Amino acid sequence: MILFFSVAIFLWLLEGSLSSEQGFADVKDIFANPLCQFVIWGSLAALAYHAVAGIRHLIMDLGYGEDSFETGRATAWVAVVVAAIIIVLVTGWVYLW
Amino acid sequence: MVTNVTSLGRSGLSDWLIARVSAYVMTAYLIFIVGYLMLTPELSYTQWAALNSSLPMRMFSLLTILSIAAHAWIGMWCVLTDYITVRLIGPKATALRIIFQLGMIAITLLYVIWAIDILWGI
Repeated sequence: MILFFSVAIFLWLLEGSLSSEQGFADVKDIFANPLCQFVIWGSLAALAYHAVAGIRHLIMDLGYGEDSFETGRATAWVAVVVAAIIIVLVTGWVYLW
Repeated sequence: MVTNVTSLGRSGLSDWLIARVSAYVMTAYLIFIVGYLMLTPELSYTQWAALNSSLPMRMFSLLTILSIAAHAWIGMWCVLTDYITVRLIGPKATALRIIFQLGMIAITLLYVIWAIDILWGI
């Protein structure tokens, strides 16, 4: 649900960044605003988790990791960890750079 | 059991396939964008506008927004048909679900139109 509405946020940022030099600068300012930072961070975190879990499904569709219940659980946990790592990087990207 | 009147694909299997194909497209786009942002520190407006006004990039972005729309439609259809059901909340569920689905579909189509306007309005 978060992702569905975050598409609107990403499109809005894209529109701003491409509209003009001023629009591009405005988007940079948005990235500096604490509240907007949190909303963007949340959207990107949701996207990261969704993408990682989705890629895990794509891998399973290719036939890997389908041996048993245990491997299923194990790969699920791997996905959670990978997503967490990416979200930490996202946090750095949004808040630090 | 719900019918697939408001689902995107012709069948559950066709929804399954569309979701996967769109997933590959979006993953490729995500990897490209992240790579591009990492390789061009201090991105300037001129660079960013130049990238997004090149034809190949516009095609890739359009393909991606269409993939997002299809993926979202199928995904949201799954969510709505899982939770807004007669079994869970009684007979009025069907009407309520249809309203939510039509709203979701309208928003999805708006996303596509908006993205086209952004890409070709530079």
